[in-house]
Amino acid sequence: MNKVFIKSLSKRIVTSIITLFLLVSFLFVLTRLSPGDPTQKYLSAEFSPELKEKVTASFKLDQPIFNQYINFVANIFKGNFGISYGYRQPVLSVVWQFLSFTLVFATLSFLLQIIVSSFLAFKSIRNKGKLFDRSVLNISLIVYAIPAFVLGLSLIYIFSIQLDLFPSSGLRSLDFESNSFFGKIGDYIYHLSLPLITLSLAGIALFYKYLRESLEDVYQQNFILNLKASGYDQSTILKKHVLPNAVRPLLSIAGIELGILLGGALITEVIFSLPGMGRLMMDSIFARDYPLVIGCALTAGVLMIASNFLADMIKMKLDKRLIKGLIN
Amino acid sequence: MNNRIIVILSFIFILLLSACKSEQPEYNNRIVIGIPADVKTFNPLFALSVNEGAISELIFLSLIDFRWNDELGEVEAFPSLAESWDWAEDKSSITFKLRSDVLWSDSTSFTAADVVFSLDVYSDPEVQSRLYGIFEDFYTDEQNHINVEKTFIIKSDYELQINFKPGSSPDLFDVVHPVIPKHIYEKYERKDLGTAEANFSPVSNSPFILKKWDRNQTITFGVNKKSFLYDENSVDELVFKIIPDYTSRLTQLKMNEIDFMELISAEDVLELSEMENMIIKTIEGREYDYIGWNNIDPELFSTSGGVTPNKFFGESEIRIALTYAINRKEILEEYLYNYGTLATTPVSPIFTYFVNPELEKYNYDPDKARSILSKHGWSDSNNDGVIDKNGTEFKFTLTYPGGNPLRSYASTLLKNNLKFVGIDVSLETMEMGTFIEKLLSKSMDAWMAAWYIPIPIELKAFWYSDLYNTQMNFVSYQNSAADKIMNDLLKEQSRESKRKLYFEFQKIIHEDQPMTFMYWKSNIIGINKRVVQKTISPLGAITHCWEWTVNR
Repeated sequence: MNKVFIKSLSKRIVTSIITLFLLVSFLFVLTRLSPGDPTQKYLSAEFSPELKEKVTASFKLDQPIFNQYINFVANIFKGNFGISYGYRQPVLSVVWQFLSFTLVFATLSFLLQIIVSSFLAFKSIRNKGKLFDRSVLNISLIVYAIPAFVLGLSLIYIFSIQLDLFPSSGLRSLDFESNSFFGKIGDYIYHLSLPLITLSLAGIALFYKYLRESLEDVYQQNFILNLKASGYDQSTILKKHVLPNAVRPLLSIAGIELGILLGGALITEVIFSLPGMGRLMMDSIFARDYPLVIGCALTAGVLMIASNFLADMIKMKLDKRLIKGLIN
Repeated sequence: MNNRIIVILSFIFILLLSACKSEQPEYNNRIVIGIPADVKTFNPLFALSVNEGAISELIFLSLIDFRWNDELGEVEAFPSLAESWDWAEDKSSITFKLRSDVLWSDSTSFTAADVVFSLDVYSDPEVQSRLYGIFEDFYTDEQNHINVEKTFIIKSDYELQINFKPGSSPDLFDVVHPVIPKHIYEKYERKDLGTAEANFSPVSNSPFILKKWDRNQTITFGVNKKSFLYDENSVDELVFKIIPDYTSRLTQLKMNEIDFMELISAEDVLELSEMENMIIKTIEGREYDYIGWNNIDPELFSTSGGVTPNKFFGESEIRIALTYAINRKEILEEYLYNYGTLATTPVSPIFTYFVNPELEKYNYDPDKARSILSKHGWSDSNNDGVIDKNGTEFKFTLTYPGGNPLRSYASTLLKNNLKFVGIDVSLETMEMGTFIEKLLSKSMDAWMAAWYIPIPIELKAFWYSDLYNTQMNFVSYQNSAADKIMNDLLKEQSRESKRKLYFEFQKIIHEDQPMTFMYWKSNIIGINKRVVQKTISPLGAITHCWEWTVNR
């Protein structure tokens, strides 16, 4: 088993590296071929045209694309992703400044999605066909259909403008540093409540739908009926038999959702002025900050692969028969 | 039962959360300014964006303090790091007497060596500062790097003479740039200055010192009590809060979360002005919208570099007809709620002394437009509603950058206006980076964009006939008489003579009408009434904001 596991794992790591390499190579070519260039911001009545030329040369953008690509690949293998044109700092250092927030924010949102959707799904299935079940089912559809910017702005209007319960944006208060430890935690919760709700509601609705249907399917299986007839109690049936079977489809979608969340939540970040990967990626694209675009895309790619891998590992833990297929 | 507990717990949770709201003291001498994007550096050498420029100039003072004089309609020079200055009679040099009581925020004394070092690195090609290549009046090497030995004579720590190249015509704007601390930046290799750690934790020479930079959230400046500009009655803390979304910024202004916000849409002004806590101010005449008519044939220029008149917009009278055909006033009234003025030439109305008042405004007159077009052979020969000439229909694409509702509104109105005189316009929106590339390659027929104008008046960068070296002459305007005036203006010193030249230039541009000058847009600023401002000028909304304070 271990040999198979290690072999399959190695294979997956190699394919992941190849995927990431192809991703950055593709992006490298795409950014160079797309219109616009990073030296456009040096175009001003107050700047001399020679400055633009100097900068173009220092970014090595005056070289043929092939030469640029060879340099780029050679640097990647040295772990050097270059200097961001705009931030004038190493790309990975800039990415980390934004990624740290995104990791926390996405993880919190993901946990919230899983916990709330699981709670609602189990409660729904226990009250199948009743008012609660029907209401949550219908509301989840509506929530899923609401675009994030509408939801975010509505929450700001209700809770910030009308009720003045939460701040309309930002991550911390201006007097954050003067708070105690628990005051700081409270300040974060106070600021992140509306963004977390905005980011999580659609995910909650999605997970709820998947899990509820899955639970319903499993409960209708004959082996559950047999277990019930054999006198097993509800709790054992749920924990040992229903859950492992019902959670599998949810895990696949959860892996993808976590990857997307870790890649950044642009709309939520913009509406609530949060410093996340989504904004960084978007700004770097508009500024034609090529090294940073590639750095962001690579980070998002790594996180997407990692989160899917994590989901597969959990699935494997639940059902060891899946080991080879999943790892491959 | 369970449900009830959950509801009660949720209610308590919300109450607790709202209790987390920080207690605001009754009075704090802090001003919070909402800005759309974070800065990437505090070093004025690399401050490329408007915000970076404004913020870096708050922490790095210059030798001279420029202030706007509304009556004169131009900037005036006042002492700052320099107490006084004297030009040589022939303007071959200038001598500055520096203040001896200026300290950097790390308590090191400011001296003439800092000024020399700053101008040296500004012009160093290895550094690639934003000012590289502009020191044409100085003694420089072939790489445009200032020759320090020939240019500077440090007479003492507080007296500095700057020599200029023979035959040059320098002015104060050539010399006066934010001064950076030599003792901090000389530790770095010149080529590494752009990425220097000191750019992110600046040692300043102004009344402000950086207290905290919470990336993409807030930039907090405290006051430097050792500064010669420090005033105990002025603001204690200045915070720039980064809020990328316009609506969120506006919401925070309304809710007193920020005190100051620029670039407010005219449509939001009514609601703001009805609020008790708000005052509205404007900065006029820094930005105008225009319709660019490519004066030359884009295809020929992009393929062979050849210059022939554009088949539609090559003649000045046709361009004048197009201006007559566009109802600029309607856009100004309906969309901008009259927050702006109609534009006639590229010389802003704020330069009151230099604006030629005798020029016709080309007010909306479709009949006149039709008559000019007809005089030039454009008529609807096949009755299809589109005018034509020698088998060519007058139809073209007007391109504009997406994401700006004013431009969408104006372009639709323009399309209808031109349709009314028989011109068929297709509208196309484009991403800004792509749009700029098209501008640079001169490959568009017509477009709508804006110019943010520099102070003092700058013409040559936009209107000089050398199409390869005047990158911002996007419309490819060429006129040798205008070129001569622009060259003469660089040498002319007398205010009265300059006025005559500016008048003449405006007359030529007005008659040539290389583009349709639409309107000067006001920069509308919302300010919480608790803020007491002494200064707000066309030089920038936040210049001299160390003089601001907060009402008790």
